[in-house]
Amino acid sequence: MIHLDCDDLFDTWRQQARWLLSHEVDPSLVSWASEGVADLFASDDAPPETQGPFQARIPRTLLDTLERAARYRGDQRWSLLYEVLWRVSHGDRTAVLAGDKLGSELQRRIKQIQREAHHLHAFVRFVAMPEGEGPHYVAWHEPAHDILHSASEHFIGRMGRHRWLIATPRDGVYYDGERLIHQRRCPIEWQQLAQNADDPHSDMWLTYYSHIFNPARLNPTVMQGHLPMRFWKNLPEGALIPGLIIQARTGKQQDGQASGIKGRGGKRITLGDAERLQNP
Amino acid sequence: MELIDKLSILADAAKYDASCASSGAPKRSSEGKSGLGSTNGMGICHSYTPDGRCVSLLKILLTNFCLYDCQYCVNRRSSDVPRVRFTPEEVVTLTLDFYRRNCVSGLFLSSGIIRSADYTMEQLIRVAKLLREEHEFRGYIHLKTIPEADPALIEEAGRYADRLSVNIELPTDASLQTLAPEKQLGSIKQAMQTIYTGLQTVLNEPRAPKFAPAGQSTQMIVGADDTDDSTILHSAQALYGNFRLRRVYYSAFSPIPNSPKSVPLAAPPLMREHRLYQADFLLRNYGFTAGELFKGPGHLALDIDPKLAWALENRDVFPLDLNHAEASLIARIPGIGLRTTERLVELRRQRRIRYEDLTRMRCVLAKAKPFFITSDYHPQQAEVTSHLLYQQLRDRPAPQQMGLWG
Repeated sequence: MIHLDCDDLFDTWRQQARWLLSHEVDPSLVSWASEGVADLFASDDAPPETQGPFQARIPRTLLDTLERAARYRGDQRWSLLYEVLWRVSHGDRTAVLAGDKLGSELQRRIKQIQREAHHLHAFVRFVAMPEGEGPHYVAWHEPAHDILHSASEHFIGRMGRHRWLIATPRDGVYYDGERLIHQRRCPIEWQQLAQNADDPHSDMWLTYYSHIFNPARLNPTVMQGHLPMRFWKNLPEGALIPGLIIQARTGKQQDGQASGIKGRGGKRITLGDAERLQNP
Repeated sequence: MELIDKLSILADAAKYDASCASSGAPKRSSEGKSGLGSTNGMGICHSYTPDGRCVSLLKILLTNFCLYDCQYCVNRRSSDVPRVRFTPEEVVTLTLDFYRRNCVSGLFLSSGIIRSADYTMEQLIRVAKLLREEHEFRGYIHLKTIPEADPALIEEAGRYADRLSVNIELPTDASLQTLAPEKQLGSIKQAMQTIYTGLQTVLNEPRAPKFAPAGQSTQMIVGADDTDDSTILHSAQALYGNFRLRRVYYSAFSPIPNSPKSVPLAAPPLMREHRLYQADFLLRNYGFTAGELFKGPGHLALDIDPKLAWALENRDVFPLDLNHAEASLIARIPGIGLRTTERLVELRRQRRIRYEDLTRMRCVLAKAKPFFITSDYHPQQAEVTSHLLYQQLRDRPAPQQMGLWG
């Protein structure tokens, strides 16, 4: 049994996988350390030092696929990739297809990654900072997979010349107006900046959110499918959700109007003569 | 009145428009530029409200003053709602603020009809123009088009907006006459034609100024009158064909406060709306026609989805051999979608498809089982009558506690 640690870096894993493949080490004989948990069956077999005789031809697209799947945090994060690599390099292309047992797990991971990148684009909430040297906007986000670096490029196009920062419990990114700087361990100052940002003008968004909701169409199950509860705590509107649901269930469900609009003094419009001419 | 009060009233007034899509725009980026915003063709849903609907755009009315008296509308002139009006600058401020916060990907602006159709349209265009020209906003803009407005104004709107939409509201002239006396199917279709012509003109002309690159859409209200699903879907099909609409949205009629007698006060028919969207999807992406889904006038079944209903009516097509059948036919098997079809075709180039493969793909096997054959599987249910299959496969409502008073 060969026990490896790639420090959750794709390039390190790639080097290791290349050695292993050249020696044709069977996937069942390798394991990678995950998240600092020691492998129960780890032994001291040293990995081969030099390149072995087997020369595999690995298509570039496969490496791209593996790199994407490598952002997945979870069990067998790296050994699954090696198994796919092993099978494809031995002529079995089904290893990447969803119809295959291994391929379906690979595809599932890629899908999760894409979904989590999309969650970043959707659910990051920037808070404006007072004028100064640092970022104009900061956000705190808790992604479930290692997507921050690749997915946050999206905000470069979106935010124009603004400087912005996204901090997470693990890594962080800062765009200084020219370059995107990624830190694998998010500096504590970044985290504090993002978590303690004061937002005096958040009431506009909260008002919009609660008034665009149609209580007559209440459907919390569908909502939770799209907006998983783990994101609620970092969304400003998250705290409103339970209240809106309860309000709808206790009487507001009969029509679409938000409570608070009724009884504000309405106005029926009578057509003036000029209007009648313009709108016969 | 404070901006926040206006926002609450005008957001409340805008919620009945179903569309919130921000997809289909061309690639734009503000990297290294002054201004703000980007689009890349994919829409982003920035939040979801507890009704399960996505919040992608700041969806708002410029004003809820309205001269029209459409019975289904909360803003009709005879409705007793507080009336307010944004200035174009206020809408711009709100859009940019929400956009910087990453709460929305753009603006969907509509309005009640004030003074005249042309005046209202001019105001809507002014907002879009301010955003695009003064603030160099490159996010998504969807403008509601006032059907009776001058075609020149509609063309101008198309130069600033990614998407234009004209709401058809109700699919027949008779329903419009009863419920929306000021609106006419003729002028609505005329406006769609103007947008369609605008889109066709810039097609294949890379140097022409952009015109509504995300196309046009429309909305039909479902359940405010007694129009049946067959009429609704046949007119949707005609709209897709005649004006190349990107989407027809179906909006289950939600009862409005101080509801007039002419429209129902029942809960919105959400299941019916859902089935219409499913059928609409079959029209747009699966190559079905409305005529195939309906034998005559009537509604879609509520307890089975339209694809299953079609399969049960057309048993002679099934069971299909997944190793040989054409892809377009595989996609017609209930429970098997376009993505699964693609995967099956990809897989069968490598090896023969077995039953077990389907368990790993995301398809609804219980529904699909009677309708396909693989190299190691032949459905026992192939001989079972459609009626019996229907009994096995239909959705059953969860049992409900009976009312105490019967």
